[in-house]
Amino acid sequence: MIQDDELLQEFVVESAEHLADVEGQLLEIEGQGEDLNIDLVNTVFRAVHSVKGAAGFLGLSTINELAHNLENVLNQVRNQELVPTHQVVDALLRSADKLRTLVDDVGGSNEVDVSAQVAELKRIHEGETEAAIAEDLECVAESVNDSLENPKDSVVPASAGEDSAEGSQPAAQQEPESSVPAVDASAETAPGPEAGSQPAASQNTAQPAKAKPAPAASSRPNTPKPNTPKPSAAKKDAKQSAKQPESNVRVNVSVLDRLMNLAGELVLSRNQLLQAVNNSSRDQLEDIASRLDHVTSELQEAIMATRMQPVGTVFNRFPRVVRDLSGKLGKKCSLEIEGSDVELDKTIIEAIGDPLTHLVRNSVDHGVENPDVRLANGKPEQGVIRLRAFHQAGKVCIRIEDNGGGIDPEKLKSKAISNGILTESDAEKLSNVDALRLIFAPGFSTAAAVTDVSGRGVGMDVVRTNIEQIGGSVEVESELGVGSAMHITLPLTLAIIPSMIVGSGSEKYAIPQTNIAELVRVPSTEIDRRIGCVQGAEVLRLRGALLPLVRLGTTLDAKPADEQATHRGLNVIVVESGQLRYGIVVDKLYDSEEIVVKPLGRQLKDASYLAGATILGDGYVALILDITGLAAIAKLRSGDEAGVLAEDEGQELNEKHRLLLFGNASEEHFAIPMACISRIERTRVDEILDLGGKSLLPYRGGTLPLLCVEEQITAKPRDSELDHVFIVVFTVAGREIGLITPVLRDICNIALEVDAGSLREPGVAGVIVVGDTPTRLLDVVEMTKNAHPEWIEKEDNEPEPDGKHILVAEDSSFFRRHVEQTLVDDGYTVTTAIDGQEAWEKLQAMDPLPYAVVTDVEMPNMNGLEFCEHIRADARTVELPVVALTSLASDDDVARGQAAGVNDYQTKMDRDSLLRSLASFSKV
Amino acid sequence: MDTDANQIFENDGGAEGTQVQLVTFEVGAATLAIEISSVQEINRNLDFTVVPQAPAYVRGVTNLRGEVVTILDIHIILGMPPSDANANSRNLIVKHDEEMFGLRVDRVSDIMSVRTCDLTVPPSNLQGVPKQLIQGVYQSTERLVLYVDMDELLKSCNQMEPA
Repeated sequence: MIQDDELLQEFVVESAEHLADVEGQLLEIEGQGEDLNIDLVNTVFRAVHSVKGAAGFLGLSTINELAHNLENVLNQVRNQELVPTHQVVDALLRSADKLRTLVDDVGGSNEVDVSAQVAELKRIHEGETEAAIAEDLECVAESVNDSLENPKDSVVPASAGEDSAEGSQPAAQQEPESSVPAVDASAETAPGPEAGSQPAASQNTAQPAKAKPAPAASSRPNTPKPNTPKPSAAKKDAKQSAKQPESNVRVNVSVLDRLMNLAGELVLSRNQLLQAVNNSSRDQLEDIASRLDHVTSELQEAIMATRMQPVGTVFNRFPRVVRDLSGKLGKKCSLEIEGSDVELDKTIIEAIGDPLTHLVRNSVDHGVENPDVRLANGKPEQGVIRLRAFHQAGKVCIRIEDNGGGIDPEKLKSKAISNGILTESDAEKLSNVDALRLIFAPGFSTAAAVTDVSGRGVGMDVVRTNIEQIGGSVEVESELGVGSAMHITLPLTLAIIPSMIVGSGSEKYAIPQTNIAELVRVPSTEIDRRIGCVQGAEVLRLRGALLPLVRLGTTLDAKPADEQATHRGLNVIVVESGQLRYGIVVDKLYDSEEIVVKPLGRQLKDASYLAGATILGDGYVALILDITGLAAIAKLRSGDEAGVLAEDEGQELNEKHRLLLFGNASEEHFAIPMACISRIERTRVDEILDLGGKSLLPYRGGTLPLLCVEEQITAKPRDSELDHVFIVVFTVAGREIGLITPVLRDICNIALEVDAGSLREPGVAGVIVVGDTPTRLLDVVEMTKNAHPEWIEKEDNEPEPDGKHILVAEDSSFFRRHVEQTLVDDGYTVTTAIDGQEAWEKLQAMDPLPYAVVTDVEMPNMNGLEFCEHIRADARTVELPVVALTSLASDDDVARGQAAGVNDYQTKMDRDSLLRSLASFSKV
Repeated sequence: MDTDANQIFENDGGAEGTQVQLVTFEVGAATLAIEISSVQEINRNLDFTVVPQAPAYVRGVTNLRGEVVTILDIHIILGMPPSDANANSRNLIVKHDEEMFGLRVDRVSDIMSVRTCDLTVPPSNLQGVPKQLIQGVYQSTERLVLYVDMDELLKSCNQMEPA
């Protein structure tokens, strides 16, 4: 089964790395007894899990089996179902040792018998629970009677005696004193195949006196181990010891030559510099400075080049993984790989191997459905998994997409509730995007049964941890029934990151350029217009979206915002990380610098908003901000901007109207009054279904009917290249309907001067000029009526207006005509007035009184509320129903309106509600 | 390092028992000591970068020849009011458990050799300093020197978290 030497070699190195720390960690776990550090158990668990996963696809069945059983027991410990007693840890250690010897000799590993360890682990496992551990692991039998260490098979009853014989085989190449019981990790630093990974291990056990007598070595004879060490100090070391796999890089000779050249240049520059300093020659200094600058950047580039490797070295293993795994699971999958030649830093390449393997395996195991299910759902039998690497904005993205069943956010939520990760009320508040992210929580798994492929919920946790450790991020996208995608964003390199240096108060901070989308300066004159407040949180209006703002000074130091700075305008740095996007308000912008990341001390590890520190050119230490962590302490909800848009409520009371501007085809501009919008969603174009000539969006278990601008009115079709569109959702006649708005441009407050004459057609209320752009104002109710006439007609249970008379007061001619038209269409007769004064005069002259009054609120001469007060003050009209129309009804407005005696509030352009409201007066 | 020349002499003279070399320093009214082997250097560069939202006992971070080192305020750890920097203030750069950090102290006074047998358990009426942080007391001719247990000191830091 084993063919690929390179893969195998990689596996050995990786597994050795994983296992190197396990021993010390197990000892520490034992030392803690019931007082368990779950994180530590998780660490061990992940290490074993990674080994298991890799062994599985390499066909190393023995290693896989042993690791799987080890994992079972660890899982119990992790769930606190099993106390890691001396005996348990003993067994774990024996198995871990065994695992290591197997890994050291992978070639022969399938022939090694591990039934004793497996039996022991199973006994421990079953001792506590009856849980299913009976996964078939094909080759239990296969390995029994081969080679070297058979004799002990018969000797061993159930304990670990066998190791004494068989341990010596691989040990021989590795540790001369392997027969001595006390084999501690530090002994293994002796050259061996995995020598590179060992320094970490030896650090771990830097207290040999404590670690040596530990059961680590206990593997050997059957002697009971009475001594349970308490490696208290080892604890700190274990946490601290960073993994530093030493390994080799092959460097092209030409690159080396270039490096030599550059080093020569550097020396030359230094000599010149010294000379120039001696002569105190200013001109010369400047020349040398620029030369040094040049040489340094070239040198940096050349050195970086030695570290870059194509991502294909990782990708190449996956065709095999997919083939083997899908075969094993009885699924049909094909794998498409793109961008193998994209280069990444060596350390990153090495670090993404594991997470990617997990994700690809997940795609096969959880993503792609069984062939019969796929056929039943009308999909091709064969699932497709796409693996793509590409550059994006100075970062490398890797996407793993499948066209499988997708992830059901509701299922995730209920699972999270039953796992105790979420409370029910929390779950309800969770958006679908946030719900999908639950898969990254530790201990979370949706697979019904634990298999040796996946299902323990450790995988995604590992994936996220590993990727975040190398400064990347991972996001999940999924559409139920259509497929899922994992989106990994990775930095090109770890060593040096270009950053923006910013100032807040007297301190400087660095923000990695990779997180920065753009810099926005809001001049002081525009602050009022562009900075708003949504539920107490500051937002910036930026091209049709509302961007949450985080004030750096306030967030970090709880200092009040610097009023002085506000007078000079605001510097906003728009940052992105995964799906998170927000603006950071800083006091000052300094330079962009390439900074070297330095770790922070242990005392600062809890500061989640920090990614490290760096030393600036002037020797000053600047803290590097972690965009995700900063958002967390600023309590930003990760949210789509659309959600924020929908929640947005302006406080404007003037007669300007808030319009949502959007584009369909690139040259055409449309507007919709915000008042009629209930919310805005963002969706993938391919999620929109076409059923019987009508567009539908599967939505929260039901469907949302959709309108296309070009189908309803004369317009060019939307750009077909878009992946995502926004859906503006309205309620018409009590039903929800969505309008596809491909590109949201802006939300603005505009004093409406509507040219209702030109371009008038059903669905278009008129033309307005926004900036210099002619924009068509859409009448969504009319559009809906045209598309779904049956919706409107159904409402004939309402009493007929029968030519009842209505007085309309409205200063905007556009709206006056609009309301008049609406009412006349519905069978009313209408008298109009241009302001409250005129309306009041007309009303007094009327006999009989009209059926009702519909009035605008903001009007010259006499506003709607004053008008209403007049009405209420007159005995003749005190009972007259009054409906007030506003562009936006805030709670304040409503309260003031009620105080003035308004019967009902309606938003302009929402003709349906207006008619319903008027009709209701006749019932009373 | 301007005081107690006699004492150094005296201690160096008596070469019986295990000797420990201690750096003594002042924090508030107390004289403390730590083992000289854990002291990397005594630094008079008191500039530091404030770390917002860090635990109270962290004064900030500073650049120590290319490494970013956390400066802890030992006043806070010992439960004393923080003191302003003055001409005698120093950062004691300590390497303990493979990790480097700085301790801000009011004055570094002395280096002395002490026989371990001359160290006594802290008196029960020890005032001003939490007793568990002191692993021994040395009574010199003039004053009481408290020998700090660095493990305990850091442990008590951890217990103070979060900020």
